Amino acid sequence: MSEMSIYGDHVPAMEQIKDELLKRINELRVRLTQKYGSDPVDHCLARIKSDESMREKCRRNGLPETTENALTFFRDAIGLRIVCSFLSDVYTIRNYLVRFNDLELVEEKDYIKKAKDNGYRSLHLIVKTEQGYYVEIQLRTISMDTWAALEHQMKYKKDKMASEELIVSELKRCADELASTDVSMQTIRDMIFTEEGASVL
Amino acid sequence: MKILIAEDTADLNRAITAVLKHEGYDVTSALDGQEAMDYIESDSFDCMVLDIMMPKKSGLEVLTELRSRHILTPVLLLTAKVEIDDRVAGLDAGADDYLTKPFAMKELLARLRALIRRREGYSEDTLSFADFILNAKESELTAGNTVRLSIKEFELMQFLIRNSDKELATEYLLESVWRNEPDAHADTVWLYISYLRGKLSSVGSCAVINGEKGGAYKLAEG
Repeated sequence: MSEMSIYGDHVPAMEQIKDELLKRINELRVRLTQKYGSDPVDHCLARIKSDESMREKCRRNGLPETTENALTFFRDAIGLRIVCSFLSDVYTIRNYLVRFNDLELVEEKDYIKKAKDNGYRSLHLIVKTEQGYYVEIQLRTISMDTWAALEHQMKYKKDKMASEELIVSELKRCADELASTDVSMQTIRDMIFTEEGASVL
Repeated sequence: MKILIAEDTADLNRAITAVLKHEGYDVTSALDGQEAMDYIESDSFDCMVLDIMMPKKSGLEVLTELRSRHILTPVLLLTAKVEIDDRVAGLDAGADDYLTKPFAMKELLARLRALIRRREGYSEDTLSFADFILNAKESELTAGNTVRLSIKEFELMQFLIRNSDKELATEYLLESVWRNEPDAHADTVWLYISYLRGKLSSVGSCAVINGEKGGAYKLAEG
């Protein structure tokens, strides 16, 4: 007989919250596309952290593998990742999310304003649903997402690489170049819209 | 530290070479301009001392050839007292300093030290303003975060820092930062000012660039 899920009998409820959030993000995208003429979101993913990953996370942190720890000590059992085209879109979406009445903003970490030492950039929100489940929402631009994917591949590669130090420092350099390009693209975009606005007047 | 010395008077050449070697420099000596040019083609130097009046190729010809090949090694010219026009021509051709013969070895050494120091200063410059640092070697802008700047953004930021005591008109920035770039115009300046504003804010700096589109700009502590 297979072992019981670390989430106990919460899985169906968690799945429902995940799907509901995804649906609402998609509705928001439709609304914003009509309002601004372009979709601020490039793509959006949602997942329930796998049973094995959550158990491994408990072990790594020296905690018993209980449902309580999985659902309340760690707050990323349900995860949403919203990837935007431009920097300002990240904050536009953030502002809509925190206005959802049935979501309570528990914590906000802005790793775009203050990047992690390795160069990681994203905006992290922890929200709590009315049913009491935590959801971690990560918002980032496409270039931040590409960077994070590559960094993830490096981090989880099993065998140690001889050139790891070089790769770590090159990844940091790329992160700082991409961040610079994100700002440049935003600046150009703002300029296009300012001129459009000016010519309308 | 490698120094090339080109001087056709054998005794003086020997004396300078001996003194520089004694000071710990790695010295290559040439007795005419062509020999100097041959060394320059096969080796690189941290500093050069060129006599103006030399057989085969004058010091001025060597210097002109160097600069036309974008070799920016600091050059000190040795001139005779009467050669005022040569000194002017030498400085205009890209010499960094000159010394009139006869000179004291002490002064030659001090001038060489100054040239080398200045060059090192340029290549490793780290400028700072308010709460941010501009690192020339990495072309990085750092406050709370770090971003990499493009060459033009870097040059503009460097210029804004060095001239942060004055208002810099768009025209003046075009002449200074975009000289030899006929395609650049007021909108170019405005775009790059906008880039730098965005980047200052993205690294979390309190510094701001004041000024309106097409007007004068000034870097200030926010």
